[in-house]
Amino acid sequence: MANPNLMNQKQIIDVVKFRWLWLSISAILLIPCIAAIIYLMATQANHAPVKLGIDFTGGTILQYAVKGDVTVDNIGKIRDDMTSAGFTTPIVQNINNAGVDNAAKNGIKNIISVKTGFIDDKTGETVNKITEIVASSVNSPELVQTTSVGPSLGSELLKNSIVALLLAFLGIVVYISLRFKADYAIITLLSLVHDALFVIGVFAIMSIFFNVYVDALFITAVLTVVGFSVHDTIVVFDRVRENSRFLAKKYTFNEIVNASVNQTLARSLNTSITTLLTLGALYFFGGSTTKEFIFAMILGIAVGTYSSIFFASVLLAWDKEIRDKKAAKKATV
Amino acid sequence: MKNKIILFWVIVAIVIASLFVIWKKPTSLGLDLVGGSRLMLEAQTSEAVTKITPEVMDSLQYAIENRVNAMGVGETVVQKVGEDRLLIEIPNITDTNKAKTFLGETAELEFKEPAGTDANGEQIWKSTGLSGKDLKKSSVATSQTGEWIVSLEFNMDGAKKFGNLTRRLVGQQMAIFFNGKLYSAPRINEEITGGNAQITGGGNNGFEYKQAKEMVDLLNAGALPIGAEIIEENSIGPTLGADSIQKSKFAGLIGLSLVMVFMILYYRLPGIIACVALCIYSVIVFAIFKLIPVTLTLAGIAGFILSIGMAVDANILIFERTKEELKAGRSLFTAINSGFDRAFTSIFDSNMTTIITCVILYVLGTSIVKGFALTLAIGVLVSMFSAITVTKNFMHLMFGTGELKHPALFGLKQSDIQNAFSATETRKEKAKFGVLD
Repeated sequence: MANPNLMNQKQIIDVVKFRWLWLSISAILLIPCIAAIIYLMATQANHAPVKLGIDFTGGTILQYAVKGDVTVDNIGKIRDDMTSAGFTTPIVQNINNAGVDNAAKNGIKNIISVKTGFIDDKTGETVNKITEIVASSVNSPELVQTTSVGPSLGSELLKNSIVALLLAFLGIVVYISLRFKADYAIITLLSLVHDALFVIGVFAIMSIFFNVYVDALFITAVLTVVGFSVHDTIVVFDRVRENSRFLAKKYTFNEIVNASVNQTLARSLNTSITTLLTLGALYFFGGSTTKEFIFAMILGIAVGTYSSIFFASVLLAWDKEIRDKKAAKKATV
Repeated sequence: MKNKIILFWVIVAIVIASLFVIWKKPTSLGLDLVGGSRLMLEAQTSEAVTKITPEVMDSLQYAIENRVNAMGVGETVVQKVGEDRLLIEIPNITDTNKAKTFLGETAELEFKEPAGTDANGEQIWKSTGLSGKDLKKSSVATSQTGEWIVSLEFNMDGAKKFGNLTRRLVGQQMAIFFNGKLYSAPRINEEITGGNAQITGGGNNGFEYKQAKEMVDLLNAGALPIGAEIIEENSIGPTLGADSIQKSKFAGLIGLSLVMVFMILYYRLPGIIACVALCIYSVIVFAIFKLIPVTLTLAGIAGFILSIGMAVDANILIFERTKEELKAGRSLFTAINSGFDRAFTSIFDSNMTTIITCVILYVLGTSIVKGFALTLAIGVLVSMFSAITVTKNFMHLMFGTGELKHPALFGLKQSDIQNAFSATETRKEKAKFGVLD
């Protein structure tokens, strides 16, 4: 039995009355994201919403650990040398890896990342040539990581990823339709699209302004965010379902939604806080390879919490209101 | 109460068993953590081999396995992926060029004849001009006396060469070399025409099946000069790998401690119980990782840490609900019970969606993504067990059936608690499915 003193509790948030405020915040969050996505889709040759890394396009990344200092000029020289050696549009970056613990342990101060088209040689000649070029600019670079993806495999991964994303959406919608109702499922779908758009959009913005490229892990991050977003939404909806079973005669649906949101508020926030604590630890102290992956998840968890409270519930109440109005109209006709 | 005590000891037994597994079994770490090379090869069709069949892939796998093992670098993996791909993993190798040498040329099979002995009395062999190119196919067969033999079938050209050669070499040995290494030197008993030949094991015992099969694979590999292209390469130096694992451990510990501090500050005594449950949870998950075994990669560790987040969420859901029930004025025992029962629908439904996502990722994802999906799925499943069984059991044992004398233990004030309302209790079975009285 649900708590009959439902309405005696403090109502911290009113999702029905301030409907337009909450939806406007969502719009303010999403509009720049959608704009960035559309911009990239229109301007990029492959029409992708973010700049795709070599995992998807094919290419080779070589990473060199350097114990000494690396200046911007060093990087520039490597880039020029590579271009004159016949590599088309190489991307050379200094991934500043100067973590304190790291520097103390094995003395790696900088990691230079060199990105080129797919290097297809079995003898290692091309790689040796690049190593020579890097060594001519900085002191004793050590090749610590090689990543190379053939172009056919890259496009296959992209295709698989999109299929995975759509299938996950479908699976979740079917599950919720079975456990709840179809309209709950559609609203959950809308709110997970809301969250996925936000994460992809922020990376689109980062792609445009900071030249960030996404890798295969990004898809994983988006899917996890989707999972979490649904997780959050379900907890709220589960409470609405429970309350409306028991209290539907006593209170209006709007009141029930409001009460449910407030009842689950502490849980929603606490779960987000604990998850963000672990993700934060991973972001600040974890390895550099997973940093962007973790960042995407931090964004997603944060916006997922927002959407479960201020987007999904708002829509749920609104949807019911519209239906009731329609039903009333029908009844009077 | 008796059941609860039994359950408690069952949990203790599981933890001890898990600790034992963790202590005994080695952790299998991914290449991104120990350093090493990972290569994906794709078999290429040629004029001679227009279709990649499973047999061709077997031969290719065998040929490559042999070459990788010849490098002598310990635990290597060569496995088939899909229809025409091979995944090769070589741990602890920094020089990627060295890892690629086994692809430099395709298998080379040569038939050689004796050419005297050298100064040390060792047999010298010279080329006969007959090689793997002349072979059509080979297979394992049995002789009339029931011994395992290797049957060879030459192509037209090869059959002619082989006939001439055997006529010349009757009574002598003929050596079969694979990539410069002598594999077998059978004695030729008579001239062989018709393009078919047999290799018997020599000696009295003949071949063992495994030996014959190995030879067939070898010969087919040599006879099918199938090209393979590197379509993906990932090499990580051991320094970087060691650095990553160090950082992940550190980050994991910091994350876990922060969560525990938060839980204890916010939920007080139940928070402490949750922390104990969380430790038990981690131990069980880690033991399962070792049992399966799951190869831990960076992404896998991320999945595990994320699943900790979900395990904590289950506890939070339960405690929030229990607190609400207490506020509504229920007795401690029923508050705990209904807190669990009602939180269960949320936990179940939300975890199911995560599992659905994981299954899809596992089926469609690449190896990095697969690792993530697997650890997350295991984590989520165990978290349901730990929240429902471990936390609940400890709560009951800790609080018994008495009244809540100190609401502060739950982080509540006496004034928060309202009068008990007369309500019939929802039956457990019904509550589980979200049906309430």
